[in-house]
Amino acid sequence: MYNHWALRVGACALLLAALPLVAATPDRLPGRMFGDGMEDLVAGPFNDEDAARFLAQSTFGPTDADIARLRQLRYAAWLDEQFNAAATSQMAYYNWVDDVLDENTGTTTLREGWFLAALGGPDPQNNLIIHRDQLRQRVAFALSEIFVVSDQNALLSQFPNGLSWYYDVLVNNAFGNFRTLLEQVTLSPAMGVYLNMLGNPRANLAQNVHPDENYAREVNQLFSIGLVMLNADGSPQLNGGQPVPTYQQAVVKHFAHVFTGWNWSDCDSGNFLDCGPDWTTGANFETPMAAFPDWHDNGTQAGNDIPVKQLLSYPGAVNGGVLAAGGTPQSDLAFALDNIFRHPNVGPYIGKQLIQRLVTSNPSPAYVARITAVFNDDGSPAHVRGNLKEVVRAILLDPEARYGHLRQPETFGKLREPLLRLTHFWRAMGARHHCGRNYSVGGVTYHYQNQPYRYAGYVTAWGTSDSIYGSGVAQAPLNAFSVFNFFQPDYAPPGEVAAAGLVAPEFQLHTDTLVANSTNSTAGKSFGLDIAIACDPDEDIGDVKIDRAQDAALAGNANGGPGDPPTRLIDAYNLRFLSGQMTPFMRQTLLTALNPVSSADGPDWRFQRIHRALLLIQTSAEYMVQK
Amino acid sequence: MRPDRRKFIRQTLSAALGGASLYSALGQVQLLQAASLQPSYVFNDYKALVCVFLYGGNDGFNTIVPYTQAAFNAFYGAGGVRPQLALDRAQLHPLSDLSGSSGDGIQYAMHAQMPQLAALFNQASSPLAVMANVGTLVGPVTQAQYLAGNTALPPQLYSHADQAAYWQSSPPSNQPATGWGGRICDLVASANPPNIPILTSLSGEDAFIRGSQVNGYVMNASQALTVDLPWDQHGQLENAFYALQAQGAQAHILERAYAGAINHSVATAAIMQGVLNAAGVPTFASFFPQANGYNFDAQLQTAARLIWAAYHNVSGYSGLKRQVFYVNTGGYDTHSDQLAQHPDLLGELSRALSGFYLALNSVPITGGTLARVATAFTASDFGRSMTTNSGGTDHGWGSHQLVLGGAVQGGRFYGNGCGFSGAAANYGLVMPSLLDPTSSFGVPSPNLNDPGDGNGRLIPTTSVDQYGATLARWFGLDHSDIALIFPNLSNFSPSAHYNPAGGYMGFLA
Repeated sequence: MYNHWALRVGACALLLAALPLVAATPDRLPGRMFGDGMEDLVAGPFNDEDAARFLAQSTFGPTDADIARLRQLRYAAWLDEQFNAAATSQMAYYNWVDDVLDENTGTTTLREGWFLAALGGPDPQNNLIIHRDQLRQRVAFALSEIFVVSDQNALLSQFPNGLSWYYDVLVNNAFGNFRTLLEQVTLSPAMGVYLNMLGNPRANLAQNVHPDENYAREVNQLFSIGLVMLNADGSPQLNGGQPVPTYQQAVVKHFAHVFTGWNWSDCDSGNFLDCGPDWTTGANFETPMAAFPDWHDNGTQAGNDIPVKQLLSYPGAVNGGVLAAGGTPQSDLAFALDNIFRHPNVGPYIGKQLIQRLVTSNPSPAYVARITAVFNDDGSPAHVRGNLKEVVRAILLDPEARYGHLRQPETFGKLREPLLRLTHFWRAMGARHHCGRNYSVGGVTYHYQNQPYRYAGYVTAWGTSDSIYGSGVAQAPLNAFSVFNFFQPDYAPPGEVAAAGLVAPEFQLHTDTLVANSTNSTAGKSFGLDIAIACDPDEDIGDVKIDRAQDAALAGNANGGPGDPPTRLIDAYNLRFLSGQMTPFMRQTLLTALNPVSSADGPDWRFQRIHRALLLIQTSAEYMVQK
Repeated sequence: MRPDRRKFIRQTLSAALGGASLYSALGQVQLLQAASLQPSYVFNDYKALVCVFLYGGNDGFNTIVPYTQAAFNAFYGAGGVRPQLALDRAQLHPLSDLSGSSGDGIQYAMHAQMPQLAALFNQASSPLAVMANVGTLVGPVTQAQYLAGNTALPPQLYSHADQAAYWQSSPPSNQPATGWGGRICDLVASANPPNIPILTSLSGEDAFIRGSQVNGYVMNASQALTVDLPWDQHGQLENAFYALQAQGAQAHILERAYAGAINHSVATAAIMQGVLNAAGVPTFASFFPQANGYNFDAQLQTAARLIWAAYHNVSGYSGLKRQVFYVNTGGYDTHSDQLAQHPDLLGELSRALSGFYLALNSVPITGGTLARVATAFTASDFGRSMTTNSGGTDHGWGSHQLVLGGAVQGGRFYGNGCGFSGAAANYGLVMPSLLDPTSSFGVPSPNLNDPGDGNGRLIPTTSVDQYGATLARWFGLDHSDIALIFPNLSNFSPSAHYNPAGGYMGFLA
């Protein structure tokens, strides 16, 4: 078949590729920093800018304190400190609100717990406990965008505790082994509900009932190997110019038959088809699914079972990927997950996505191949496969991660996600919860008075949907529209990016509406939500607010105006927000906008400079791209 | 027919690339001005296409169901195809199908929650047609070919993302992938004024609204959001904000893309808010009683309002000749609890889609009503399996879709084993719901529309390309351009139910 359209578009792409990228004048390029790969990489960072840049990839946003800490420890020791930092548990927060504060919990509790972990800092129930596991949480968030479950699902939305428990699975395994992660995800009730493995019975042909294929399909397609055979460098394997599929439909069907016989842990076998969540406590969302052998296709029930199941077939697959009859639900599941885990695609498929979530949308094939090698063998005497800790270390310490901005200055990096812009903003600006009171509704007392570390508030923390709350974030953890996440890893926005053959997944979320709403909400958070602004005593919940006062001294030395430019403020924000990559043009533009503000504008003139700077920086095209 | 169409498109794009306009103030829209320098389509009337995408894969086989008693029993009764998904026959809305177009001598009915659409199907001069068993195809596929594995199939059948992308792109294999909504708009863009969006999504971004040149505008269901910066007594904030987003000035390609996005958003929102707030544009509120500003009903309400405004050349929105809208809703992935969930979905669809038609039909224009200028059509990831997963259904392939508008030759079903070559035994029934399509894997099923993989998925008998070509032809595109938009269309041969030289599937006059 002759595909005219492909030919035409292909011709256009060639044409575009032949054109030079837009020539940039010097004031449109960031100053060239020290560090071009000639020095010993792991001995860095050698300056604050490199430190901030590393933290932008590995945390929820650099702070001055973290920059100092990283410079003190250097990369290797900082990573080890992070690998050993205590994990912040979503369930711990959820249980505290539920059991100790004795509030009615809900989706808001889930969101508060996530922000506590993402923002780090003191724990609200014991301020002496400091949450420092930034890297673990950042990786867990990346995993939550691969192993997607969502409270847009009607049932899951009613059991935020189940989502807290699920998120803890991601957090606890972020530096663990991929095989363990895969199994715990598979057996989590939240995933069981979301992709229908929970309560999935063996076939009953008399009733024309067949095992559900939802989980069987997505665990392969999205959580492990993808649809086409990959080379170690992430490129597709081709046969006659066409990608080679990883499996056929029959394989999905056979996996579906393996994934039968699992249900709520408190279900009983005689009631398998009718078991449900515990509507009172949700408790059965907090234990892995249990096996019910009578409902599991182990290949022995004539007619209904598939006696010999052909799972993934690839060189080196155990028994050729064939699962024989006679197993238990547990042994069959182990065989199936091992079969997936051992597939050569897992390294490049998962490795590339983790690179995209942390570092850059378009890693070079060589970068992906280096990560695949670490995934396949962590280099330890035991030659462990799937060691995520070493994968994360390798991703962040790869020469491309450290020097990509210098080697590919016009393409390296990624569009920042709206939620990560928010956490960055709050961390950099010392945000905490402010205002609110202890109030009672229906006999339940809620506690928002003097709770700086309960990250609550409709305007900022909880609001996600632009049309409902106007928050402008349009993204919340575990809140994707579908199992395909907020954006897909191969999304290319039409125009120059697509024509250049690049991808920029996060653009899929940045619709015309979102970019406008996000701009507006940044204005609100920069100008109007500051802990220096007096509280309304009737306000129940309060909100998360920044602390402009922390930077007031940077905003001017005397009385402002053009004679007292806020150069120190711009420099500090260049470091915190842009890792020192601000162009001379942007710096001059900011100074021009801020210089006129002076003491004649009122006693808060320094704050006025700060909130202008924050708005202009956080909405700027330069900041939007983490480079 | 212009034999040099391909050349034309290449020339305009390269011409644009040579100039500075490619990423200028209005982003992609600006490019169209370059294209408009070339002679192309000229229309003296206005038309709109509205794609109604049902995310998740609607179960068309519990949407339009057998009503004749014996057929109903065979489908839902004990030992039948879908005993666990049986509907209450007394609650169904029988479809009159006076011409017997179902092709199998059986009467069908719409789901109990779809009284409005059933009434439109049954009324005289009906505006509602059913496109039976349509889906993603590279070319005709028979059961034997599927089982033998020796024919081209859409990649990744039964996968949501891939099949939704195929439906919207048909095929999605081009890099970068474009959608057929976008490609249609690429071709008609020059017939429209620059800068006003001709391709508008009322809910989110997806492949359908991506063209090579036209990039669809994405707004909220009832408003286009404008950027409102705080007041600055020194008058500096706005200058600085826009200086930092200056179109095309950034050194980094993703920064330029972001700057393009924000500039496109700002410029277009001003246009859209202008028209939505313009005096005289009706709210159509009475036709959308459940619209709340952000739901599916509101999307269709806004589409109707914009169509009204374009037709009436409201200031700032005048001169438009062709527009494509994209509305959508989700939740159709009914793996479990389908009998509880599906009715709500179908109720929403029937209520909102009929409201859209009735709103436009309430506006008289010369020779008819405004409904005549707009055609809405449904699409979905895929159909669903005939088999059940104890309470729900799994991902399928072919399914039924609805086409609604004043220009639709409604009140009947369209499609068949159209274009299939070979023995008549390979031809499917128009409404292929009745034979038990399940069998063990690899064993041919008695229903020749079944691929034979044991889950009762149905091989489509009409392709997305044939469906889309019918819409594109009504939209005014010539045959050679339709062949460009749907590159696999030539794989389908004419038949009694498919006439590419005329109206393709024939459901639009």
